[in-house]
Amino acid sequence: MDHIALRLTNCFQTVFPHLPEGEIAAASQTNVAAWDSVAAITLVNVIEEEFGIEMDLDQLADLDSFSRIEEYLNREMPLS
Amino acid sequence: MKLTEALKILQQAPENAPPFHVALACGYTPLHVETFLGAHLQQRLADRRVTISTGVYGDVPGTLAGLKDAAAHGVAVPLEWADLDPRLGYREAGNWGIKALPGIISGAMAVLDRIAAAVEEIRLDIPVAVCLPSLPLPPIFHTAGWQAAEAQLALDRKVAEFASRIGRRCSLVNSARLAEDSPPGERYDLKSDLLTGLPYTLPHAAAVASALSRLLAPPLPKKGLITDLDNTLWRGIAGEIGPENVSWDLASHSQLHGLYQKLLAALAEEGVLIGAASKNDPAVVQRVFEREDLLLRPDRIFPLEVHWSAKSGSIERILRTWNISADDVVFVDDSAMELAEAAYAHPGMECLLFPTNDYAAAYALLRRLRDLFGKPRVSEEDAIRLESIRQSAPFQAASGESTSETFLQEAEAVVTFDFPAGNDPRALDLVNKTNQFNLNGIRYQEADWKNRRTRPGAFLVIVSYRDKFGPLGKIAVLDGRQENDNLFIDTWVMSCRAFSRRIEHQCLEAMFDRCAAREIFFDFRPTPKNGPLQDFLASVSGRRPDAPFRLNRALFEEKRPRLYHRVTESPTSSNSWITSRSA
Repeated sequence: MDHIALRLTNCFQTVFPHLPEGEIAAASQTNVAAWDSVAAITLVNVIEEEFGIEMDLDQLADLDSFSRIEEYLNREMPLS
Repeated sequence: MKLTEALKILQQAPENAPPFHVALACGYTPLHVETFLGAHLQQRLADRRVTISTGVYGDVPGTLAGLKDAAAHGVAVPLEWADLDPRLGYREAGNWGIKALPGIISGAMAVLDRIAAAVEEIRLDIPVAVCLPSLPLPPIFHTAGWQAAEAQLALDRKVAEFASRIGRRCSLVNSARLAEDSPPGERYDLKSDLLTGLPYTLPHAAAVASALSRLLAPPLPKKGLITDLDNTLWRGIAGEIGPENVSWDLASHSQLHGLYQKLLAALAEEGVLIGAASKNDPAVVQRVFEREDLLLRPDRIFPLEVHWSAKSGSIERILRTWNISADDVVFVDDSAMELAEAAYAHPGMECLLFPTNDYAAAYALLRRLRDLFGKPRVSEEDAIRLESIRQSAPFQAASGESTSETFLQEAEAVVTFDFPAGNDPRALDLVNKTNQFNLNGIRYQEADWKNRRTRPGAFLVIVSYRDKFGPLGKIAVLDGRQENDNLFIDTWVMSCRAFSRRIEHQCLEAMFDRCAAREIFFDFRPTPKNGPLQDFLASVSGRRPDAPFRLNRALFEEKRPRLYHRVTESPTSSNSWITSRSA
């Protein structure tokens, strides 16, 4: 697991504490019951805190799975 | 506090702990304010499980009206301008402009009246914490942003009138302190407001929640302050420059010490115990204390430990006289070494440096002391605390001496039992503040405490004491229930000021008499601090308890010493001492 995926996993664990770690990589709004609109905003804010970025809330509807958020972060995060 | 940290605190809350439920009445989407409020309260109440419920979006008065009969431990109301009129926010399409302003102001007044009325209907034992509008008003006025508009001032005035009205019932967040924690220019988040309905930036949500949590679960105030003298209470070393040359005034550039004296005088007036520990010549200190211009009157300082021995020993004796523990006390000295020595000898005591030449640090010290000793109200007992401790000195000296029987016999002591029908805030204050003579160390929230009176057979007793040296005020509380001829005492606390007078024996004597009980069951639990109570129980039962236990009347009568008090009942007592009987 790369660095971004690892940090994103931590974010998911914070927002969805009952989600088993092994299921986080496949998590999406369709298979995580707790992923409602409030959890979606909370997740975005936790990711913003973790990565020190500002996410585009207009894209919230598209950021509906772990893999899509990971792709977004890989795209948006400045290369160190 | 970061959002991630807040979420983790909530996840780690103890599952089976007693609940602490707070109703959050806000007109916007509560979102992170709810999370931060829960987390801050959870941090303050580690032995409870905090839960938060929220109300109806955009309807603060309606949400509060729905709490009229709610069973909550607290109500948090973070108001915003948009709650008073949606046009004072950014999410509604209503008009801004000169023509709209009169309607906005009159509408805001009507909503404030409804909120105040709804708050006044909430049960008195439920604390209500209110944060007045904290966001900047939108640009609806004709003036430039740097100029206050007449309509804006009118709105501010209406909110101030509202605050004055509800201030009798609610605790209000100090807006000036909130501004220090959360600068006004960094509070509003337009994107979050428009896209999620939460108008706050994350830091402001955390700051508002933290401020509200402090009002709903305030820290216990410290009880005593021990101060150094040279270069602390005054500028200069009295033994070197002479008592007439130490100073605490503006002209001598020593006003910091004058301010410190003024604050200590104010604290003493509020019932804070002030003692002094100084390595000094007693005769020299006496000459400084004879100066008329001293702002802290010497009679406010007791005890005074002035000699050349270690300060840790002085502090030990002061704590013994005050009969309180080190963690209830603050020690202030200008010497880091003296502070370190005191801190090592008295773990738990807050040791603060007096920064003689650092104005910013001195300002911070004054504010820190105010925070450590701040309390929501000053009681009658606060006013007589110092005097009653002075009166305790002869009792302490006499205890253990052969003359103590004569001393107690001649004290003209009167113990008064009150069985109150209503709520006396002093009872809960005493229960939640007392450590040493405390049956089990259990603390209560106001609503829980009041609910205890509704249990079948429940009783509450408040004990007052006076003798020829003066009154001690209300000094003990017992709470429990009676089942047939068995008496169960669940709460029993007594102020340390009342030790050495056999009041605790008289309390049990009265309990046995009142209910004609053969046995009393004590919900006793040992705590790190209730040694004095354990000593007492061992003396009347013949063994040191380590768990709940029962005491037989015959054994108590055999073990108890002679009692010399005159026992009376308060004229305000209810007719029946049992507050609730089983159906």
